[in-house]
This record gives sequence, C-alpha cells and structure tokens, in this order.
Amino acid sequence: MSDETTPFGSISVSQRAIANIAYHAALETYGIVGLASKNLVNGWAQVLVKDPTYGVEVHYDGQDINIDLYVIVEYGTRIKSVAHSASSTVRFHVEKALGMPVNEVNVHVRGLRISNLD
Amino acid sequence: MSLDPKPGKSQENLLKKPIDGQVLKRLIEASLTWLRTNQQIVNSLNVFPVPDGDTGTNMVLTMQAAYDEIAATPEYNFGKMAHVVAHGALMGARGNSGVILSQLWRGFARAVDNYAILDLPTLVQALAVARDTAYKGVVRPVEGTILTVAKDVAAAAEAAIKTVDDPTAMLEIIVKAADLSVQRTPELLPVLKEAGVVDSGGKGLFFILEGMLRYINGQTLETTTNTVRPISDMLLENSMDSIEPGQDFEVIVDFRPDEPLDIVNLYNDLQQMGTSIQLGEGDGMYRLHIHVPNENVYKPIDYTRTLGTVTKIAIENLVDQMANLEKDCDDRKPVLSPIEPGQIAVVAVSPGAGISRVFASLGAAAIVEGGQTMNPSTQEIIHAFENQPTDKVILLPNNKNIVMTAKAAAGLTVKKVAVIPTRSVPQGLSAMMRLIPSGDFDSVVAEMTSAIDDVETGEVTIATRSVEIDGVEVEEGQIIALHNGKLVLSALTLEEACLGLLKTAHADHFELITMFYGANVPKKEVFHIADIIRNVFPKQEVEVQEGCQPHYQFIIAIE
Repeated sequence: MSDETTPFGSISVSQRAIANIAYHAALETYGIVGLASKNLVNGWAQVLVKDPTYGVEVHYDGQDINIDLYVIVEYGTRIKSVAHSASSTVRFHVEKALGMPVNEVNVHVRGLRISNLD
Repeated sequence: MSLDPKPGKSQENLLKKPIDGQVLKRLIEASLTWLRTNQQIVNSLNVFPVPDGDTGTNMVLTMQAAYDEIAATPEYNFGKMAHVVAHGALMGARGNSGVILSQLWRGFARAVDNYAILDLPTLVQALAVARDTAYKGVVRPVEGTILTVAKDVAAAAEAAIKTVDDPTAMLEIIVKAADLSVQRTPELLPVLKEAGVVDSGGKGLFFILEGMLRYINGQTLETTTNTVRPISDMLLENSMDSIEPGQDFEVIVDFRPDEPLDIVNLYNDLQQMGTSIQLGEGDGMYRLHIHVPNENVYKPIDYTRTLGTVTKIAIENLVDQMANLEKDCDDRKPVLSPIEPGQIAVVAVSPGAGISRVFASLGAAAIVEGGQTMNPSTQEIIHAFENQPTDKVILLPNNKNIVMTAKAAAGLTVKKVAVIPTRSVPQGLSAMMRLIPSGDFDSVVAEMTSAIDDVETGEVTIATRSVEIDGVEVEEGQIIALHNGKLVLSALTLEEACLGLLKTAHADHFELITMFYGANVPKKEVFHIADIIRNVFPKQEVEVQEGCQPHYQFIIAIE
C-alpha cells in the first residue's frame, strides 16, 4: 500500500492498482509487445499475461515505490532504447496518477517476439 | 557534410535516372540535413504522451547513424543499400521516435530486398510494409503519432499509384500527405490539442520526407524556411523586462499570409513602427510580437492585414503592466543549507518569503511560515526540527504571539530545544548573527539570547480599527508605527510613519537601518521612501530588503 495522510483522512493505493497503471503504460510503449510472468517456471504458456500483476511487480516500503517490469520486446528493435522508454513511460504515468515519486523502474526483458512478416 | 544544392538549380534528373543505392544515399543525406536544420522545431513540439527527451535530437541521431553506415558504401543495389540504412538506424535508434523510425526503415528494407532498382509499385508496397512493421512493434498503437503519419503516407501512395508514374510527383504526394497527417494529429491525440502543438515524431518524419523533396527541387537544406523561430520559442514573458520610453503597448498579431513572406522587407517595415520585434512561425501561421508607442498601436494590425488573414490580435498596455509586475513579490523558496549531524539546528518562524531567504542565508536549518495573523501550530514547528540530524535545536519564534507555541513545541520532544524569545524579525536576525552551529549549545543559546536586545524593531502597518492606546489616537485605515511592539504614532502616509518611527527610535544614534518591505507596497514607493530616509539620516547606512510579509508595509531593524 502507498499511503498518504491529509487533514481530511488518509488515502491508500494498493500495489495492484499501481501495477495496473504500469501495465497499461508499458503496453503503450513502442517496442513492448507483451508482459511476461516473472517466473519462467510458470512456463511459456503464460508469456503474454493478461493479469497485470503477473508481469509487473510493485514494491513499496513506506518510502519508495519500486517497480519491476517483465517484458517481451519486438525482435528487431533496439532493446536498450525500448527498455529505456518503457521505464520512463511507466514512471511518468505512475507518478502522474499517484502524485508520488517513483524511485526506480527496472525493466527485465524476458524474451523477444519474432514477427512473421511474410 | 557538404550538401548544398544551389537554390533554383533543379536536381530533378536524380529521380529521372534509375533509382539505385547511390540515389538513396543522397536522399538520406538530404533528409538528415533537413531534419537537423529543423531539429529545434521538432524538439519544441515535445509534449507527453511519449517521455522521449528531445524527439528532434533523437531522430537526428538515429538518421545520423543510418547515414554513417552508408556514407562510404559504394553499393549500387537499392535493396542492399536500404538494408544498410535499416541496420544503421537500428543500431543508432534513440528514444521512442528513433525506435519507430528504425522499424519503418526495417520494414522498408525488407520490402525492397531483391530490387536493384526502385520502381514506383515497389515503393508503394515498401511504404505499406514499413507501416505494418512499425505497427507490429506495439500492442496498443497510440494514434496521432509518427505511426499515424506513416500510415497516412502509405495510404496516399497506394491511392496515387494508379494515376502517377513520375517519382518526383509521387514524392510530392507523399510529402503533402505527411504534412496533412501531421496537422491532423491534434485531432487524434487530445494531449497535443491541449498543448496546442502537432506531434513531434510525426513532424520529424515529415521533415525527413520533405528533405528529400527539397533536395530534388534544388531548395536549400541548410537554413530553415525563414529567419523566424517556432512560436513556442518566442520568449514573450521575458521581453517585458526591458521596456524603454516609447514602448507603451505590446501588440501580438497572429496571421496567415496569403503568399510566402518576404522576411527582410517585413522586418524593415516593422522597424518603422516599433521595437522588440519577434516573429514566430508555426504550421502556416505567423505570430508577430512588437512594442509600439501610443500613436502606432494599430499600425502593426493594419500592416499584417495587407499580408493575409489576421486570426487573432492581443494588445496590452505595457506601462500599466509594469506597474503591476513591480508589486509582485519574489516568492521563491529559500535555499536551506543542511546541517551536519550533531550541529545546532535553528528553526526560524518567518512571515514572508524574502525574510525566509535572509534567515536561510544566515544558516537556518528550517523555516516555518507564520507571523502576525497566521500563527503556526505546535505540530508544524515540531515537524520542522524532528527530521534534523541532531538533537540540539534552537527555535526563533520572531513574533510575540508565537513564543508560547514555540515553548509548547519544545516541551513535546525528546530533543534538546531552546526557545530564544525573539518577539520580532529583527530580533531573530540579530540572534541569528551570533549562531555558531558547532559551538557549545548552552553558551550559543546564551550568546544569541543576549543579542536580541541589540536591535530596535520598527513596524509600519495599517490600523484595522479606531482605537486609542498609550495616548496615541488612531483612526481605522490610518498608517501606524510600532516601536519594539509599542504603538508610537499614527500618520497619513507611509513616508511620514517611517520618518516618525525612526525619530522616536533615535535612529541617529545607531549605524544601520534595514527595511524589509512587505508584499503590499509597490517597489517604486519603497525606493522613494528609502531615499528620503537616506537624506534625513545621512550618517546611517540604509538597506532595503524584500521581505514579502503580509500586513506589514515595513519591518525595520535599527542597530
């Protein structure tokens, strides 16, 4: 939970809600074609997860918000650039929605998707 | 890079020849040059949705990487050259728009794979594949971006292929489609509309395509179309700082010229009317900014009407505006210097931003906002020092109404807190002068406490009700002066009140008079009064400081 206390009461935002924001922001990032389960043990069947909390991990220790993204990147893009813009897009959207600073967004590239163009 | 076709001299034969790898190289070079020329325009369009740093710079770097790959390649095969371009763009892709651009090139290269020479049907197909490849790279494409422009370009080429068989004409159609598509981006993406701009990545792609066409047409690539800046670059707020006599009005006119502007003549004509001329360009429209004297107010408007359609006019009275500006207080936050662990932290209560800055400059670790009618709570004061990395704290309440609160705060913490009963800002500052952050706590407190009687405090404000105190009769609305918290006189003008106060306080026996002026006094009046005081007290140093405090026109320290 991320908490904030105002003179009128307190506001708390669940990790899952933050994960949702990050999930949608990530999917709008160019080059990201999906999110992957963080445990590869769960198998490739789950590689393109629908449930945001599988591909996004949100850690909140009462001070900082840290986000881990597990992503699938389109083959043929420059992965470094894609990861960088995913990180900043997610940071921007989460900070905009929450009004709280995000400490770090870690992008873990779990795989590449090779599109069959022909 | 040395690519400067002479204006007017057509390069059209380039596309009349078979379009091979070397032609592509020169087109890429032209794209890069034109994009770089317009880099700042693209950068200036940058708003969210894509936190992309500077789109223009990113796209230039991506295209630069692509060009670097092909610069020394003697390849004549178009398909092979396109692959080298795509490879270079991929390796150099920077930022979101750069990645998309590299994908466009990748798709394009794939479609022309086996073609030594590019023909029009292949081009149309390649644009479609480029679009598809780019769209494949994202789960939820955002429309109103470079992707949309790529899509519209491909669609326009597909529609035109039946009727057009000249590569130059095709390129013109493509550039036109890109231009229109860019202009439509705000309709598709609300965030652009709110910011009043078109999409930066889309605009970048337009410049890449337009650069090729300009090169074919023999137009210059090294300078922007005009010697004007994008509208977003115009620093209109700052232009007010330097108002000279004869600049009575600021006139801003937005207009769409009927014909391309002759910038040199335009400037010549405008200089007859006024000064501080700025011309901004954006999407077919121009914004003219000029300062003119009274009698010329309408001239710039009449003049621009002869050039085209005037869409918007704004006229502001600068003289009046300046007077208002001067009243505004500089409410920047003070820059506090953090203390070392274990040192003495001073928390000062301050009624105004200017006074806060003075306290900060003297080494206060924290500032609590508060004063005459806005007493801070105990909690606020505790908050200010509880995070300090020390257990030695000195509180300066700087107002007699806050001394009690500060003492209450001191009792509610395990830290060692001393309240120095400063009853006014000057007393607080005087105490602050004696602070030794790493000194022995008790002796520093004693030293600072002894300093508060070294200074005389004067305050000038307006009476909120009619009253008689200490033999001084006051009417509501009159200006009153207090000496060390005691009402000493009432007056009709600020000047009279200040002088009377200084005389009562025997300012002629002291050395330094510091005046903190409040948020409610125009600067002009402050300096006028300060000048009078300097005349009356020639032996004293008179200092004027911005205090920004509410209610009190002046807080005066006499020491």
